[in-house]
Amino acid sequence: MTDPVNDPVDDELRDRLRAADPARDLPVEEPARVEALLQDVMATELTSENRATGTRGRGTLTWLVAAAALVVIAGIGVFALVGHGDDPAAPPTAADAQTVTDLAVPSASAADGRCMVPDAEVLRGLPVAFDGTVTAVTDQMVTLDVTHWYAGTETDLARVVAPAEELSQLLVSVDFRAGQRYLVAAQGGKVAVCGLSGPYSPQLAVLYDEAFPG
Amino acid sequence: MDESRRDRFEEIAPGLVEPLRRYLARRTDPDTAEDVLAETLLVCWRRVTELPDEPLPWAYGVARNCLRNAERSARRQGRAAARLAAQPVDPGPPEAVEVHVALGRLRAEDAELLRLWAWERLEPREIAEVLETTPNAVSVRLTRARAKLRDELRKSSARAGHEQA
Repeated sequence: MTDPVNDPVDDELRDRLRAADPARDLPVEEPARVEALLQDVMATELTSENRATGTRGRGTLTWLVAAAALVVIAGIGVFALVGHGDDPAAPPTAADAQTVTDLAVPSASAADGRCMVPDAEVLRGLPVAFDGTVTAVTDQMVTLDVTHWYAGTETDLARVVAPAEELSQLLVSVDFRAGQRYLVAAQGGKVAVCGLSGPYSPQLAVLYDEAFPG
Repeated sequence: MDESRRDRFEEIAPGLVEPLRRYLARRTDPDTAEDVLAETLLVCWRRVTELPDEPLPWAYGVARNCLRNAERSARRQGRAAARLAAQPVDPGPPEAVEVHVALGRLRAEDAELLRLWAWERLEPREIAEVLETTPNAVSVRLTRARAKLRDELRKSSARAGHEQA
């Protein structure tokens, strides 16, 4: 292969480009910060270090929370449909005008199970996955405005419906908060837990993009 | 198993951080660069067993994909930062601005080839790995891209000379 570096005209062009290098004055990162960053990265992966075994135990609470979320979504959808339409003059509500995906929370008995380590392959098998922002949290329902569907039938909203107690436990695990963005996956109408659903983070987004390319 | 993964990562990653920081500083705003650096390292850690003997071009390729994902997410959210994400924040002195403007007039693929060649100082075979193409294709396209950039810079100097006159 010819080495273009040896051409003086190319050298001149390269020098000119290098003089315009935006990173030319970027100071070298302090070694302590690099070390901290790398430790953080390796710590993030600790949940997946058991990948060789494929599963790991999860706390009961995690499962309860997830189960609650799914139930909540299902219940609310029905309520919304029944609750409107009495007054034809009333302006349509968001629930009337928008399509909705209702999800429930995994059953508490799932707590006896074991979690798959969250990774793209596990996610890929789930029929519902979306990126959305929580618009409301009540004691029985979490409503999300969906901005992107990775998988599943596209609707405007998604809701997690569950009895108050179960939902509150789900909230401890997935920590749905109004105004915040989440990546949520579901299977069998229930929110997937064990790290598969959670607050939006670049790391989780990479996992979703890997699982649902395009 | 986990210990050997950790050992390999600790051996390789420190050498990747600085080049990746620079790669990202050249292509996006500082906040996005920081996020994408962490993501890129996370992917390297998760795939540490797949890392080639020369891991840097491979890692640049990962950073490239992570950056594209970040920009896509930003666009999806409709954040104003989405546009910023495509540009480094500080373009530098006037001569540098001229170079950036000329690069901006090229096709995105050509400009990126030139950045990888001049800023990351990669050989065609390494660029090919980043862009997932062949070294021959890179060499041919690089020659063409250099000619186009020279042309743009010439036009830009001619315009400047004209204005001074």
